[in-house]
Amino acid sequence: MSSGVLLFCFDTEHTRYHKILERCIRLVKKNICREITVVTNFDTYQKMSPMGFINYKFIEPELGNTKLGKEWNNVDRHMAYELSPYDTTLVMDIDYFCFSDNLKQLFDTGYDFLVPDTAHDLTGRNTFDQRRRSMIPMVWATVLLFKKNDKVRKIFDTVKYIKQHYSYFTEMYRIYVKNLRNDYLFAMALQQINGFVGYETFPFALPTLPPDCEVVKITDEGISWKHGDQISYVENQDVHVLNKEIVNV
Amino acid sequence: MDINELKKQSDLSYDIAVAKRNALEKAHSRQVVVYREHLFRADPVTICLVRTLKESRDRFCVLDTNSNPVEITDPAEFLSILVERNQESLNTYYQVYRTFTKKDA
Repeated sequence: MSSGVLLFCFDTEHTRYHKILERCIRLVKKNICREITVVTNFDTYQKMSPMGFINYKFIEPELGNTKLGKEWNNVDRHMAYELSPYDTTLVMDIDYFCFSDNLKQLFDTGYDFLVPDTAHDLTGRNTFDQRRRSMIPMVWATVLLFKKNDKVRKIFDTVKYIKQHYSYFTEMYRIYVKNLRNDYLFAMALQQINGFVGYETFPFALPTLPPDCEVVKITDEGISWKHGDQISYVENQDVHVLNKEIVNV
Repeated sequence: MDINELKKQSDLSYDIAVAKRNALEKAHSRQVVVYREHLFRADPVTICLVRTLKESRDRFCVLDTNSNPVEITDPAEFLSILVERNQESLNTYYQVYRTFTKKDA
C-alpha cells in the first residue's frame, strides 16, 4: 500500500507561492517522512529551487477565484483523488507547516476519510468561531487524509457536484462568503454524502495564525509572529499560516 | 500602583495566558495516538478506563475518538503506549510552563 503527501502550488501575479512550498516541503520531508507529489503548472515549476526527490503533476489551474481582491488559485482540490498516485494520501495546504510529526501517524489509521473540524487561534482571540452563522458544521480542508476506495471516490464526486452548483448550495447552507473555499465545499459534500449526520474527524484543532499576524521568523523548529505590539512563538507545533507575506520572511 | 506598571503587568499576564493556552493545545494534539488503526486520546479518562478494565479482563472494547468500537487484545501494551504519550506531552508542557512562572515572578 503506497502512501504520500499531495500539495498544490500555483504562483500568482501577487504571491510567489513556490517560496512557501519550498519551506513546506522541507518540513514534510523532516517530519512526515513520506513521498511527496506537487500539483503545479510549468511556470511555477520553473521558479522552484531543486528540492530533491519530488513527483510533479502539471495541470493548468482553474482561474477566476479571488481572495481580498487578489488572484487565488485554490479551486483544484476536488481533483486530489484523481491526481494522487497513492493509496493513502495526505493533502495539505502549502501554508500548513509541520513543525511536529503529529500528522505522520495518521497514515497508520484505517479511516477512509479524515478532516479537521476545528481550528485553534494561536492569538487567543477565537477568530474562527464566526463561521457558526452557517447551518452546518464547518471543516478545515487545509489538511485531508483519504484512502482510494469507492466510498471516498463518491465523496470527491459530491465535492465536484457542489462546486458546479456552488451558489445554490451556499444559499441553502447560509454561507455568505462569495468566493469559493474548499472548507465550505468539503463541509457541504461530507454532510450530503453522509446522510446529513456526522463524519469522522481529526481529534485535534488545527493551530492557525490569523492573517493579521506578521510572521517575523521561521525556522525548521517553529515560528514567531507579531500581532499589535505582542511577539509570540511556538515550537514543535504545526501551524497554518494565513498571512501570505510569509513569502518574504 | 502606577498605571504604567499596571498596564505592563496586565500585558504580561495576557501574553502568558495566550502562550499557556497554545502550549496546552500543543499537549492535547500530542496526546493523540494511533493504535490498531484507530485514533485515541492519551488523556486521564482513557488511561483510567483502560487500567480499570485491564484489572478484570484480558480483552475488552473501547471507543476511539470517532466513537468506533475497538477490541483491545493486549491491554498492557495499549496502556503502556497511552501512559508514555500522556507523560511525554505533559512533560513538554511542564517545561514550557516553567518559563511562564519565571517571567511572572
